[in-house]
Amino acid sequence: MNRFFLNSYLLWLVCCAGLLVAMIKPAHAQPTADEKPLRVALTGKFPPFNYYNEQGELAGFDVDVANAIGKRIGRDIEFVATEWDGILAGLLGGKFDTIIGSMAITPVRARQVNFSKPYYHSGAQLFVHRDNPAQVYSINECDGLKVAAVLGETYQQYLDQNYPSIEVVTLKSSVEIFELLQQQRVTGFVTDKLVGSWQIKQADRPFVPVGGMLYSEDIGIPVRKDDTKLLEQINTALDQIKSDGTMKKIHQKYFGLSATVSGSGKSTMSDAVIAKKLIKGFAVTIAIAVASLAIGFVLAIPCGVILNKPKGSMVILYWPVRTIVDFLRGTPVLIQLLFAWMGLGLSPFTAAIGTLGINAMAYMAEVIRSGLMSVDQGQVLAAKALAMNRMQTFRHVVWPQAFRVAIPPLMNCVVALTKDTALVAVISVSEVIREAQAIISVTFEPTKYYFIVAVMFFIVTFPLMKFASMLERRIAQRGFSRD
Amino acid sequence: MIEIRDLIYTYPNADEPALKQLSVQFPRENVFAVLGQSGSGKTTLLNCIARFLTPTSGSIHIDDRNIADMTELEFRHTLGVVFQRLNLFPHLSVLRNLTLAPEKVFGTTLSDARKQAREMLDRLGIGDLADRYPAQISGGQAQRVAIARGLMLQPSYMLLDEPTSALDAQTTQDFAAWLTELSSETSFIIVTHDLPFAEMVASHGVYLSQGEIQATGNVADILQQVQQPTS
Repeated sequence: MNRFFLNSYLLWLVCCAGLLVAMIKPAHAQPTADEKPLRVALTGKFPPFNYYNEQGELAGFDVDVANAIGKRIGRDIEFVATEWDGILAGLLGGKFDTIIGSMAITPVRARQVNFSKPYYHSGAQLFVHRDNPAQVYSINECDGLKVAAVLGETYQQYLDQNYPSIEVVTLKSSVEIFELLQQQRVTGFVTDKLVGSWQIKQADRPFVPVGGMLYSEDIGIPVRKDDTKLLEQINTALDQIKSDGTMKKIHQKYFGLSATVSGSGKSTMSDAVIAKKLIKGFAVTIAIAVASLAIGFVLAIPCGVILNKPKGSMVILYWPVRTIVDFLRGTPVLIQLLFAWMGLGLSPFTAAIGTLGINAMAYMAEVIRSGLMSVDQGQVLAAKALAMNRMQTFRHVVWPQAFRVAIPPLMNCVVALTKDTALVAVISVSEVIREAQAIISVTFEPTKYYFIVAVMFFIVTFPLMKFASMLERRIAQRGFSRD
Repeated sequence: MIEIRDLIYTYPNADEPALKQLSVQFPRENVFAVLGQSGSGKTTLLNCIARFLTPTSGSIHIDDRNIADMTELEFRHTLGVVFQRLNLFPHLSVLRNLTLAPEKVFGTTLSDARKQAREMLDRLGIGDLADRYPAQISGGQAQRVAIARGLMLQPSYMLLDEPTSALDAQTTQDFAAWLTELSSETSFIIVTHDLPFAEMVASHGVYLSQGEIQATGNVADILQQVQQPTS
């Protein structure tokens, strides 16, 4: 008996694995028709190269270059704001056509993609706190000290390879790095000289560059290896932009002596724009939560029934459902999100709702199963004695009782899922966390805006939690005394 | 009359049958008793008669009709069951416990079903319980509600499984008197190991032991017979 179940279970696992492999079709780039807009990825968090301006629109050096290129090759530009640490994978997965986001040309990257000619040159620079308690004046004096770099940027690899005795601390963005250095928890950080100088000025931090540039690097525009036509077009466009003076103008605008990025001083994003962005982001968060909860709950009922006591033709569904539910509960949601987005090629929004929806299904199915299990078998017999059929019995006798038992743990699932929506920022859905990150990249106030976002979540989850514990108390005290 | 012909029931994975070729008739009486100690096969027999178990072989006939040939609705109109643990629906009020099946299964309108249920509760002397929930009434009251729920389907026969198991001595006496009064209209079959109670309410019965009929006839005689140590 046990062996039979083990065998059929293993068989299911093999089948499911096969299915998964079959589904991971290499997302090849379809030959894009020229009239289609050119999808250009950037983070929107790398001012002054790319960032959101006071109107909440994408702006910056990269954005202007991209628009100039678009004009030259006769295609509209559609910007796709995405995370830096998954940006190359997104390009390879066909999520967008190119990246104009200040990407340095490196041999490792060049193995995966083709780079255009460089469109600007920059270099790595060490910055330290003005107080400089460690008395560091060049990168060579940092042995055994902590130096920060942004995760996934070339500076991190460079430090690891060339200065193995430096303890490299990697963080998600320069905003976090600035906080760390302000608190003097790191000795300094390495970043692009231009960007670093601009950011320090914007954030009004007491940081200074020390020593010469560590190295200089070429910044290029990557395209997929098979997209030779686009590469050619971009190179031609770059040549034109350089020769007709457009590039010089753009450079002047951002880095010229008299130029500041957004008018004067520290003016960054108006409060109205910030509020609008946060509210819009939070609306997306709530929409994702509501949609995936609805999907999850509707799917969880049949799954819970199948998991509880499969009868008749439902028996053959037991192992598939069991496997799916166990798999979803046993793997990180983050991986599932990335898989749905890149592996299955779904749009970010669909991937987010789909993944969180089936996750909610998996957890809720278990809750519903245990709710159904808690209903006494005598209830089913009593319904049978009253000539009720299986559907009537389920609908009027078993389900209402199981549901009452399941409500408190279901509410916990709702709270957990609402918080899980924070993860979908990774697959570039513009929900509240992503919007906050974009705001922080300009305002340099992470504490304030992350706290505001936390409060926004809490305002939604707190009543849910209170409601759950109230129901729990009521059910414990009064049993089934209310219909 | 309920007639049981050569009934054998063997549980899955069991070596011995729980009912060993049982043949017996329950004449239609006010209250008929099926007696026996725990493990004698009483509950198995009840489950076969109530169509919760399908006999391994043999057949059961009610008023000369094989119950295996009846439709579900027909059968539940013929025979009602009240369980040892009553199995009232805890999430529904007493009134809703009574109206659920008539409304959902038999298509009675809700207002008619409510009217009938209130009449039934009044007739059984428990009209004041209509709006309470099963958790809010006593064991004796719950017993009556369960019977009232069964009677809503107007069955010719009503099976009661161990009706006194949750009742104390005084409540048992009250219940016996109540049942006797009620049994002038419906024919009750009580399955019980409570011999004194059986004697209070039933004149005839059968005594089951180890899946076989040990005695039939007058309840008083049966009691005398089984209470004597077997020589």
